[in-house]
Amino acid sequence: MIPLQISPFQYIVNGVVFSSIIVLAAIGLSLVYSIADFANFAHGDLMTVGAFSGLFSVAIFRPMLGDVGLFGLPLWFFLALAFGMVAAAVIAVVTDRIIYQPMEDSGSIGLLITSIGVALVYRASIFLSFGSDSERYGVARQGPIPWIRESFGVAITPRNFVVVILATVLVTGLHLTLTRTTLGRKMRATADNADLARVSGIRTDEVIIAMWLIGGALAAAGGVFLGLEELVRPRMGFDILLIVFAAVILGGIGSVYGAMLGGLVIGMVHELVPLFNQWGIIPVGSRYAAAVAFVIMVAILLVKPSGIVGESG
Amino acid sequence: MTERALDVSGVDSGYGEVQVLRDLNLHLNDDEIVCIIGPNGAGKSTVLKTVFGLLKPWTGSVDLSGKDITGEDPADLVRTGMGYVPQVDNVFSSLTIEENLRMGGVARSGGLDERIEELYDQFPIIDEKRTAKAKTLSGGQRQVLAFARALVMEPEVLLIDEPSAGLAPNIVQSVFEDVQKVNELGTAVLMVEQNAREGLAISDRGYVLDQGTVAYEGDADGLLDDPEVSRLYMGGADYEGVEDL
Repeated sequence: MIPLQISPFQYIVNGVVFSSIIVLAAIGLSLVYSIADFANFAHGDLMTVGAFSGLFSVAIFRPMLGDVGLFGLPLWFFLALAFGMVAAAVIAVVTDRIIYQPMEDSGSIGLLITSIGVALVYRASIFLSFGSDSERYGVARQGPIPWIRESFGVAITPRNFVVVILATVLVTGLHLTLTRTTLGRKMRATADNADLARVSGIRTDEVIIAMWLIGGALAAAGGVFLGLEELVRPRMGFDILLIVFAAVILGGIGSVYGAMLGGLVIGMVHELVPLFNQWGIIPVGSRYAAAVAFVIMVAILLVKPSGIVGESG
Repeated sequence: MTERALDVSGVDSGYGEVQVLRDLNLHLNDDEIVCIIGPNGAGKSTVLKTVFGLLKPWTGSVDLSGKDITGEDPADLVRTGMGYVPQVDNVFSSLTIEENLRMGGVARSGGLDERIEELYDQFPIIDEKRTAKAKTLSGGQRQVLAFARALVMEPEVLLIDEPSAGLAPNIVQSVFEDVQKVNELGTAVLMVEQNAREGLAISDRGYVLDQGTVAYEGDADGLLDDPEVSRLYMGGADYEGVEDL
């Protein structure tokens, strides 16, 4: 049998889609690190919480809206996405108030270990509520957009487009929030120097709530998109967490823009592994995609230990 | 007419179980620069942190213009008329100069743009670099930005922790001139300074802090001329004839 020859552009398209998901997750993880000052191991499971919250809401929105479509996807999917984002944002804030805030004095390591416990609670709650099976949102399968396939030989589905465009909109929205609004400047100021933010009169408690809302919502968007592209599984966020961490570390830990860049690099490398293998650059296939992404991360950190955009020293 | 801007009475304070300040009493009039000097570990910075609510006093009271503000949160004090310039890390280094000033004015109810323009006029050195990141500034420029950030709220009282710390000797004088300028613009200044002579030289009055309590107090000139204070807290060089040689 002749092996199917896949266009190199196809891998790039896959990389852009996967990167979009990683970037959304990495931003939240980086925000928490920079403002709340700990590595949140529950962030992957927060993605799962968002994905399942969206799934839960499908049962409500789908009968209401039927098959009305938007950009090639049913309208109820977009509402499920919004629902998942709101639910994860609220759960992130509530978790902070009842668990992380009272543990604040235990320091970064104490909070990190606490977040592992929170991750287990999130995951167990999902297992209890939804069972252990993989689920789907129920968006009808669509083939690639014909004219793109014919013109470029690349298979891009409408859902690929929606994921990338919405991720771009969300990341652009965050960028504008951070640079153009008082809230965004307060967030950057608090991330830069929380003590000085307090003595300048910034209500850092409010900034922390905003940070959890944004981080939780973006994580949920990443989770819903991952569920749309693959499956909605109780371990989906946990399984991707290390890759998200790799993106954050590669970009420069604590830097939101670094997380975006790191997410793009790690996501692309992850999906380009089969192509590298095809070209004989590396001797392993897609099963080792995560390992290759980590090796690339290590290689870049050897050259620039503070990450791509991290401050040195 | 001179009025009392700040009154600290019988304050004990410290970190955790460790007591640093003992029955501290000091005041600041609304037109003054007052300098707190003393040896390392005397508790000078702790005074400012306690006054500004970063540490809660164990006992005693702090009044701002006659209003009890003991233990109030810094974010509230900024809104009540007090500003604070920490010794280190006193600018948001990844933010631009303009953004630093905006962050200094988050609690303003209005007139922020006009106030920032005023500060640019008063401190032209930062006007030239509005869009530069604060981390690109020199030590002296950073200190000016730190003052300006704290002045956006037009505080009655500004607490400044060691403005000359870490600065090259040729910069120190200009930073002290800026402290005087802050005062001339209508803000009372309570300053902690390791550089005792230079600090007192621009001050109206001074307090010598030793082991968490006031050991000497008086007019700045009087403290500078006091041989005992000089010998114990300023190295005593002038009074051993070094300056005359």
